[in-house]
This record gives sequence, C-alpha cells and structure tokens, in this order.
Amino acid sequence: MWPSAQAIVTARITEDVVVGDEVVRHRLASRVIHWAVAFFFLICLLSGLPIWTPVFGWMAGLLGGLSVCRVLHPWAGVLFFASALAMFQNWRREMRLEPKDREWLGPGALRRLGFLALERDPEVGKYNGGQKLFFYAVWLGAVGLLASGLVLWWPTSFSQPIRLAGILLHDVTFILFAVAIVLHIYLGTAAEPGTFRSMTRGTVSAAWARLHHPRWYRDVKEGVSD
Amino acid sequence: MSGPSLEVRRSSASLWGEKTGMRRLPVVSKYIDTTTCIGCKACEVACQEWNDLGVVPTRQTGSYQTLPTLDAEFWNLIRFSERETSDGALAWLMRKDQCIHCEDPGCLVACPAPGAIVQYENGIVDVDPQKCIGCQLCLAGCPFNVPRFHKKTGKMAKCTLCVDRVHVGLEPACVKACPTGCLQFGTKLDMVAMGQARVEQLKENGFEQAALYDPPGVGGTGVVTVLAYGDHPEWYDLPRDPHVPLAVRLWKGVLRPFGMLAIFGTILGVIGHFMTHGPQKPGEPGEEGA
Repeated sequence: MWPSAQAIVTARITEDVVVGDEVVRHRLASRVIHWAVAFFFLICLLSGLPIWTPVFGWMAGLLGGLSVCRVLHPWAGVLFFASALAMFQNWRREMRLEPKDREWLGPGALRRLGFLALERDPEVGKYNGGQKLFFYAVWLGAVGLLASGLVLWWPTSFSQPIRLAGILLHDVTFILFAVAIVLHIYLGTAAEPGTFRSMTRGTVSAAWARLHHPRWYRDVKEGVSD
Repeated sequence: MSGPSLEVRRSSASLWGEKTGMRRLPVVSKYIDTTTCIGCKACEVACQEWNDLGVVPTRQTGSYQTLPTLDAEFWNLIRFSERETSDGALAWLMRKDQCIHCEDPGCLVACPAPGAIVQYENGIVDVDPQKCIGCQLCLAGCPFNVPRFHKKTGKMAKCTLCVDRVHVGLEPACVKACPTGCLQFGTKLDMVAMGQARVEQLKENGFEQAALYDPPGVGGTGVVTVLAYGDHPEWYDLPRDPHVPLAVRLWKGVLRPFGMLAIFGTILGVIGHFMTHGPQKPGEPGEEGA
C-alpha cells in the first residue's frame, strides 16, 4: 500500500518509470503545481461563495469576514490563474488529443460509467480521453474566470454591457467548474482507489496502472516514453 | 446609513428579503422641475455642506457643469446640455443628476453584502458603509450609473435623499436651498400630482412633448422629474426605459438555485454512483492480465 522509499525518491525528479511493483506517475513538480491550483481554488471558493449567495455567508467567517473575502478573492484568483497557467504548460504535451481519445469518448464513455459492466480499452495511455477533456475544461475555465474576474475587479474601466457580461460569465463558468471539480475529486478518490496517492506521493501500483492505463503501463515497462 | 433600522423595508443579500422593518411610513419623493431650474447650483453647495463632503477639483469642459459626472464626494450634479429642437431652436437644458431612489433598486438587487444597501419604508435607498464591502457590483445593477466608489473609505457613496433630515421632519438640503422652487419635497402622491399638473401647464404653453419622468421599469422612482422635452429623456442623460439589467436578474435569480442544484445534484449523483456501482479496484474482472 505504501510506496517504497526508493520510489518516493525517484518520484522527486522523474516520472513514467517502474520502481519495484510501483510506477511513478507524477514527479514532484507536477504534484506541487496541482496542489497550488487546488489550494488557490479552495481560497477562491471559500471567499467567493459568500459573495455569490448569503446562504454561504457563514464561510466568510472562516477567512475573517466578507470584507476580507472581497480583498482576498481577486488576489487568490490571480494566483489561481498563474498556477493554472503553470499546470497547462506542464501537462500540455501529454494532453494532446489523439484519434483514440475520440474513440474513448464515443458511445462507450456512458457505458464505462457503470464500473461493474467493465469495458476496458487496452489502448488507454497515460491519460484517457476524459482526463484530457477535463484538463482543457479547467484551462478554459481558468481563462474565463480570469477575464470576467478582471472586469468585476475594475468595473469602472469597462462599459455597462461588458460589466454585465462579466457577471454572467463569472457566474456560469464557476457553476460548470464546480460541477467538474466534484466529478474530478470523486474519480480521484472514492471511485478509483489507488489514484489519490499518485497526487500525494507520486506513485501508483502496477496493478492500478494495468487496470486504468494499460498502454501507458506497457510503454513504461518497456522504457518507451509516452 | 443614517436611518433607523426599524424602518427598513428591504435590504440587500437578505435571505428573507422583504419587510425586515416594523414601522410604516408614507413614501416620500423629491420633485424636480427642470423647466424652472436656473442652473444656480445652490443645491450642489447645500448637498456638499449638509453631507460634509470634501472638495472635488472642478474641471472646465466648455460648459457650466461642475464635473463631468457624479463623484463619491459629489452626489448632486446639475447637468447642462445644449440641444437643437425639431423647429431648429436651441434648448439649454439643466437637469439635477443624483440617485433617484428606485422603487425596485438595481443596486440593492446586485449587492452581495447583507444589509449594505437598504430601502426604508419611506422609499429612500441608502448605503450602510459599515456593511458595504466596496465590491462595486451595485454599479452593474444601477440603470442610472449613480453609485460611486470612494477610494479613501473603500465604500460606495451616493445621495441619501438626506434621510437624516427627512427622519426628523426636514426636507433634503438641496430642496431647502433651491431659490426658484423647482425642487419640492413631500409624499410621492403629492409630488406626482404636482408634476402632472406642471406637465399639463407646459403642454398648454406649447410644450406638447412635456412629461414627468417616473420610469415604471424600476417601479417608479423617489425622485420625479418634469422634462420639457419628455420625448427625449436622453437629452437629459436619462435612459428612455430603465430596468434592472436582465443579467443581474438572472445572476441573482434563476442562476443561484440552478447552480446550487447543479453542484449539490452532482455531489448526490456521485454518492449514488458510488453506492450502486462501487469503487473500481485493481484486480477485478475485466482487467487486462489480472
């Protein structure tokens, strides 16, 4: 269950290598970037929800009140975008959509939701079509939230129609983003045990790799970079 | 905010929204007759004096107008404009620009800070600087471009209709100072009646297009304005048919329950998925080479 010391050390600088019966999936830099995005998203969420609706007004108290949220939210947003930009750069090459991803996302995707009726695709590489789509959705969301957020930050620098468009874009993008994040957290934790550790200590078990990303596992074992 | 909270009719970002106060008061209104305004700006001075507002450097823009637009320290601005009427005559127009205290205030609808914008039972819309967080979202809700961000305080500021004076039975400072009587103060019913009578008089005197500006799109306003050229409100920098913007209505209306439903529905959905389909562990049927 726990990764070996050797695997952890290897995962500091390299990924896509087999260490014993483990595979290093995310090197340290990738994990740090991911958690930076997650941290700033959380700050934005906690400071933004009480501004969105008084139903979540109690959250403002966690950060020191609504006035603190108002100051914190845009700055945390900028840092969220900056880390999302780093994340985009970090994963961009690996997330290139390929023809087989389109296939993965085809009619089989819905059937794949039913885990018991397992329908495996032996050609899934390091990231499947869904993960790639999520990656681009997060990037698009970050751009949308930043662009509309800047309008909301300096409303007097923009005309009324742009201000109103900014409000709607920020609102709708957030709702879609929140829905996607719920699915992301579920798939990364409860739904697929053995996944979460790839984002903490960087490694997954060989069995996990064979199940979820068979082609990636084959390539890594043979020393072919994905 | 200078009025007592017992008289609050509606407050921003309130879960319960309406009727948060106990007392009932007659709805008040300010009457502005642009046709008898002489542009003396006594009201501007009275406003600065009574509200103890700071000095705002004026700007010469080739007009008598003190400032190009309202300011956080300048809540009452006489706007001057020169227009050519349909018969080729010059119309030199003066209009008192200020918060006109909508019955359905877009600023209050847009405000996310509980109680930062309130509407009293007498119809006056007021900002409570203690609760204002300075986000400026009220600006997006206002069809009249009135609220201003005060850089020093980090809060919004605008005309209070001198609620502190009104509360003790006085008229607003600008009305007190007006030398021609073009500003009047009283109940909304009285002011509308006065405005309609004046419009009739103007029509008899050759201003067929005269009208009382009390736009129904925002439920009427706490400041009613007699316009000689009522068919051209834009000549006075007034929107023709103002409404609380649709985007603000959507954002504060349907998008909140929809968003809540989407987010909590997804959370319930994944819990349901977990309960019916379970986790997908390595070493189970279907796995390659398991």
